[in-house]
Amino acid sequence: MGQESTATPAVDPVSRLLADYFPPDGAADEMLDPHGRVRPVWRQFVEYLARLSPDEIDRRCARGDQYLRDAGVFFRQYGAAGSTERPWPLAHVPVIIEEAEWTRIADGLIQRADLLEAVAADLYGQNRLVAEGHLPAELVAGSREWLRPLVGIAPRGGHFLHFVAFEIGRGPDGAWWVLGDRTQAPSGAGFALENRVATTRVHSDLFGEARIERLAGFFRSFRDALQTLSADPGARTAILTPGPLNDTHFEHAYIARYLGFTLLEGDDLTIDAGRVMVRTVAGLRPVNVLWRRLDANFADPLELAAESRIGTPGLVGAVRRGTVTLVNALGSGVLETRALLAFLPRIAPVILGEPLRLPNIATWWCGGAAERAHVRAAIDRMMIGSAFATHLPFETIETTVHGGQFRGAARMNVEAWLEAEGPRLVGQEVVTLSTTPARVDGVLAPRPMSLRVFLARTEGGWQVMPGGFARIGRTPDPSAIAMQRGGSAADVWIVSEKPVEPVSMLPRRGAVPFARATPAALPSRAADNLYWLGRYVERAEGAMRLLRALHVRVAEASDPEAPLALAVADELEAMGVDAAQNVPAGLQDILRSAISSAGNVRDRFSIDGWMALNDLARTAARMEETVAPGDDAARAMGVLLRKITGFSGLVHENMYRFTGWRFLTVGRSLERALHTVANLRALADPGAPDGALDLAVEVGDSVMTHRRRYAVSTNRETVVDLLVLDAMNPRSVLYQLTEVKQHVATLPGAEVNGQLSALSRAVLRTQSGLAVLTPEELDGFRLGEVAGEIGAISDLLSDAYMR
Amino acid sequence: MLYDIGLTITYSYDSPAIAGRHLLRMLPADLPGAQRRVNAWLDVVPEPAERQSFIDFFGNEAVEIVFREAHDEIAFRVGSRVERIARPLELDMSPDLSRLAHEIAEWRGLGPDAPHHFVGPSPRVGRLPDATAFAESLIAPGMTAFAAVKAIGDALHAEMAYDPDATTVDTPPAEAFSRRRGVCQDFAHIMIGALRGVGVPAGYVSGFLRTIPPEGQPRLEGADATHAWVRAWCGWETGWVEYDPTNAVAVGADHVEIAHGRDYGDVAPVVGVLRISGAQTTEQAVDVLPVAAP
Repeated sequence: MGQESTATPAVDPVSRLLADYFPPDGAADEMLDPHGRVRPVWRQFVEYLARLSPDEIDRRCARGDQYLRDAGVFFRQYGAAGSTERPWPLAHVPVIIEEAEWTRIADGLIQRADLLEAVAADLYGQNRLVAEGHLPAELVAGSREWLRPLVGIAPRGGHFLHFVAFEIGRGPDGAWWVLGDRTQAPSGAGFALENRVATTRVHSDLFGEARIERLAGFFRSFRDALQTLSADPGARTAILTPGPLNDTHFEHAYIARYLGFTLLEGDDLTIDAGRVMVRTVAGLRPVNVLWRRLDANFADPLELAAESRIGTPGLVGAVRRGTVTLVNALGSGVLETRALLAFLPRIAPVILGEPLRLPNIATWWCGGAAERAHVRAAIDRMMIGSAFATHLPFETIETTVHGGQFRGAARMNVEAWLEAEGPRLVGQEVVTLSTTPARVDGVLAPRPMSLRVFLARTEGGWQVMPGGFARIGRTPDPSAIAMQRGGSAADVWIVSEKPVEPVSMLPRRGAVPFARATPAALPSRAADNLYWLGRYVERAEGAMRLLRALHVRVAEASDPEAPLALAVADELEAMGVDAAQNVPAGLQDILRSAISSAGNVRDRFSIDGWMALNDLARTAARMEETVAPGDDAARAMGVLLRKITGFSGLVHENMYRFTGWRFLTVGRSLERALHTVANLRALADPGAPDGALDLAVEVGDSVMTHRRRYAVSTNRETVVDLLVLDAMNPRSVLYQLTEVKQHVATLPGAEVNGQLSALSRAVLRTQSGLAVLTPEELDGFRLGEVAGEIGAISDLLSDAYMR
Repeated sequence: MLYDIGLTITYSYDSPAIAGRHLLRMLPADLPGAQRRVNAWLDVVPEPAERQSFIDFFGNEAVEIVFREAHDEIAFRVGSRVERIARPLELDMSPDLSRLAHEIAEWRGLGPDAPHHFVGPSPRVGRLPDATAFAESLIAPGMTAFAAVKAIGDALHAEMAYDPDATTVDTPPAEAFSRRRGVCQDFAHIMIGALRGVGVPAGYVSGFLRTIPPEGQPRLEGADATHAWVRAWCGWETGWVEYDPTNAVAVGADHVEIAHGRDYGDVAPVVGVLRISGAQTTEQAVDVLPVAAP
């Protein structure tokens, strides 16, 4: 670079950076003013970027991407072949907005949030807006989000809305427009937080100096507000998620971890005497604030959508009795109805006594003849879509007319369509979104942008998150802004003129006396998933050990039909694993089950553990293509075994020793005990083929111990003694049952009125029964009985804790 | 006409249901001017752990019950004495269909009787293009809304065969119409879809029919179980009228209402969410007997 600057007259690095940056005509640009000059608020960032070589920028971007991968941030994309998890598409250049301008945006959005609250109260209360003709009745009655069972019910605490988001965009004249209202269960706040962390990693040296407003204070205020809403210190605040298949489930788990709230699914809850309770391993526990991330129609199959399998029967009844606050109230989704945008500008003066401070995208409801005529006349500038739609204009996938042309499959005459379906349609003026710089193939290029801004109700009124979630189009076409269509997400920096104070989620030092909180009782569903995670991981390990032993012998004798090989294949078959496959599909199914169980409790699970488990499954899938039978397969199993013990180590070293960990451990112990008993029934049988006893010891990972403890080669007594009865061998059945006994004794309800529970008794009976046996007495028949008793313990555990 | 009404609905499960929550709409309605509920009781066996009544959006009485203990059978029993006040047929003052559209638009309100709830698709009655085309072919220019209701109902009755084996409670109305068969629920749903298709607000009524017809009249279909018919809004002057397409009769003193709503989903006698693993069977028994004048 130095050479270049001596050869040519000094080229200003900023000019070089922006040499090919040309925003399209007719659109505003975030970085450049209409004269093509860098806006003052961007100057520091642009100068910083101009100083870096393209390679250095690439390295920094990679740092941010690495962080997101390590943090397990991904997003779920839906396609014809189902859904897949994709790396999070971070746009590495933030959108930068000046604080004074932001204050005006915030002011307008707070007014809008107040307006929407008042509209919700009216639609579920007096219906003045309809009675006085400010809103057509059919628009409300026709919305599937206007929930009749909630009509006439005032929400506990008085407010419908507690957490809302607005999608905004900047028009060609530089003014901001509201594109859509998100009042049902707005997503993106957690992703905004992750974008911030990742973007900070990319531009770490700048971030410290720039006066960028921090986000943590916003989340802290909202957390405090939710806790205030709870009113009852004995009841908890939780996040209600539709479950792991939802496209924003990652965010639900992330926010739950970040704010310290329990993450629950509909099935975790039950209504008892009108109160919402969580099913936990310690019985029912009250919850009275639910941050709902589940669409209202699915929340209660009894009174709302009957087909819902993810709701809680009776939840509407609890709302009716005023025992629970839902954030936001059931029914708030009606405010997202697209046609409402046509009426809000006129409703604002009626309700608030003043016009909207921030306009929304110009909208005409085609139920009126005059409006229909206007839409027809201005068809080239119109998007036409469903009046009842609740998604944003740029996300639409339905049949929509855009600039007079039909998008999607159905085609017909637009005018006839307007006449026939008018009351079900709206026309919206196309807004040309502003562009913002995005890195495309290593250079900055202007791309369309919209912004999601979040507002939370606190005791002091609405707070606006100083920043947000920017969506950046993949191409210059604004319809490519949706992430489902390849768009990306960017951080939003609100840059202050004054230095900003760092904020964190931790309480200020000295402000609160130190107190150790007791973890809340474990939801039964979480216990269930952790227990099965323990079992599946142990089952996978058992199968891997059998497979490795099998392939070692195949490599030595090269006879897959040898009696010993057949005995092992039979055992694997009983586990659903086909020994003829080198990396059997059945083994991969077990790993998938483990991942699915872990996915259901992602909020309780370290990111490293999650990554390790996924890495294990990916490695197994990759090996399927390449591995040859015999030696190669044995080595492959060795690799998988090291990875799975790595995972187990990670979990058992790092997981907090509370109830959840106990269920995981009990699952592992019971599975290991069952697996060992099954191995011995096959391999320590008097009729078992030659070498079976050695194989049993090898699969039981106890070769060294056997050598040390018994001065003889293997015989049935030594093997059974070591693998079943030896209380010191961590691979023995007795050792596992002793562990189970200790864990079960500490679970809630281990004793009932001073007497052992049925579960405790069963564990004690089996454990002490084994402890007094000799290897001679432990024949095949008795081993079969032990297997049955362990199975019964598992059933008792499910009955006691997992319903 | 005064009736003594008995209704029993039983459910039995192959393997015990662990717990459950049900919403019941089984009690005869009390409708000022049309139907007077003299008395009514609802008995549930086994005894539920919780029981609570409320009035739903459309004004129906709903009873919410909760079972916490495992059970393999439930019986719901209703007994009631009801006076049904027959409303004489009035002169048809209803507007034609284009005028009706204006009258609907002029209704500024979202109360339970507002026509707006009954014009668009509802959860169990979506748009029915075939039934709508069938209805359109029956409409003559200038025909009144009331006449349209009767014409469409009569024609549907003639077109459809009553067949208890052709459909189940979950058969979509479009499918029942393409087969031209079904029971009262199908008749009602198809007629509702057809009426909405031509712009007449229409809803669903569940209720009872008197078991034994007055002397000299034929026994009506649907008397041995709970019955269903249609209500339609025919403008400001006429208001809501009721018509029974299964029997092609205007609803009168032989019909006793339980509940009304947009479609069956709003008025189902038993909505339940319970944890069961096996199959379930259900049975219904109904008696509607006139009480001799004292």
